[in-house]
Amino acid sequence: MGSNAHTRWWAEGPVGVIVLDNPPMNVLSDDNRRGIREALAEFRDNDARAVVLTGAGERAFCGGADLKEEEELTTETVGKFLQRGDETFRALRECERPIVAAVNGWAMGGGLVLALWCDVRVGSTRAKLGAVGVKVGLMASNVQLSRLLFEGRARDLLLTGRTVEADEAHRVGLLSSVVPPDRLMDEALGWARDIAARPPDVVAALKRSINTALDPVDVDGCR
Amino acid sequence: MTPEHSWDVRLIEAAEIEVAVVTGACTGAAFESVIDADLRLAGDAATFSCAGARDPIGCARRLTRLLGEARAKEIMLGERTFGAADALRLGLVTRVVPSSAIADAVRSLEDGLRALPPLALRAVRDAVRATRDLTPRAALELEHQQFRRLIATADHKAAVAAFFARREPAFTGE
Repeated sequence: MGSNAHTRWWAEGPVGVIVLDNPPMNVLSDDNRRGIREALAEFRDNDARAVVLTGAGERAFCGGADLKEEEELTTETVGKFLQRGDETFRALRECERPIVAAVNGWAMGGGLVLALWCDVRVGSTRAKLGAVGVKVGLMASNVQLSRLLFEGRARDLLLTGRTVEADEAHRVGLLSSVVPPDRLMDEALGWARDIAARPPDVVAALKRSINTALDPVDVDGCR
Repeated sequence: MTPEHSWDVRLIEAAEIEVAVVTGACTGAAFESVIDADLRLAGDAATFSCAGARDPIGCARRLTRLLGEARAKEIMLGERTFGAADALRLGLVTRVVPSSAIADAVRSLEDGLRALPPLALRAVRDAVRATRDLTPRAALELEHQQFRRLIATADHKAAVAAFFARREPAFTGE
């Protein structure tokens, strides 16, 4: 159990819960980036078997990077900015325990990246996903969308930056289920408890295997 | 498009993005051109078949990258003709509209693309194409390289300024 200015986390039985709490849009802050990493480390030490990640309120899961913060980046600081994001995304990806994103509203830009690095995504009927980087002259979530959706649909979302509503997200496989907002946490906890009930070594091996299944393999078997 | 042109691949010049539009039969070489485009949309009377492709092996590889193994095999192995609804289900096209509305749909998609910053569009297009051949680490490194380049562009600064001023940005490709 812990918290910082923009993040709260706790355990519910075998499931760890992380809430991004930076209203109204839950814009991704350094407190969130650090909070996610701290929470995952704590859950690992306390043997949580699955994790749920969500945003506070009904408006946004995560609105992505703070444009003000981005505006102030210089050639010197942009590398650090990318690295801080990367450390967080990698912590989700490399965490042995599966992470369920409960997408309660907007997941855009870096917020979409966050949702896509999770292992399972469930959404409320208010979920809206947008790879909006291109709209501000940037790019984000290319890697994950290309892997999750294959190139055809990835190009559509990345090149237009358009909004994907919950139903379409479900149809194309970006959300595994869609439920009314008041049932979203139960739905996400249900997925997490099902995962938590399975042998943890098997679950960890499955996550690793799927994470690397699409990686190119050299002739000598090196990735 | 006139009735004798049942498909078309249109180029959005500034960003070098190809948009394929299919309103009738699309087979063989036409099918190959269409799957090479960046974006695809169809009228509800469109039909698709890979039959008669000049390079079926290359076609199979490109479809696997585009749609995944199961869907590529469904299309390539049976060589069946399928309609717009199946094309949407397979993800071969990402939008289907009534034939009567296709011209408007194409115009609005193209206007949308022209309103976006071309450098970022081109960077996204190239990154998606490259990602399949890279490990996640290498692909992310490529994304970061592009991000560092793009964040210094005039178009990015214009987008941020427009966002805070609550107006539509105008992009110059610089």
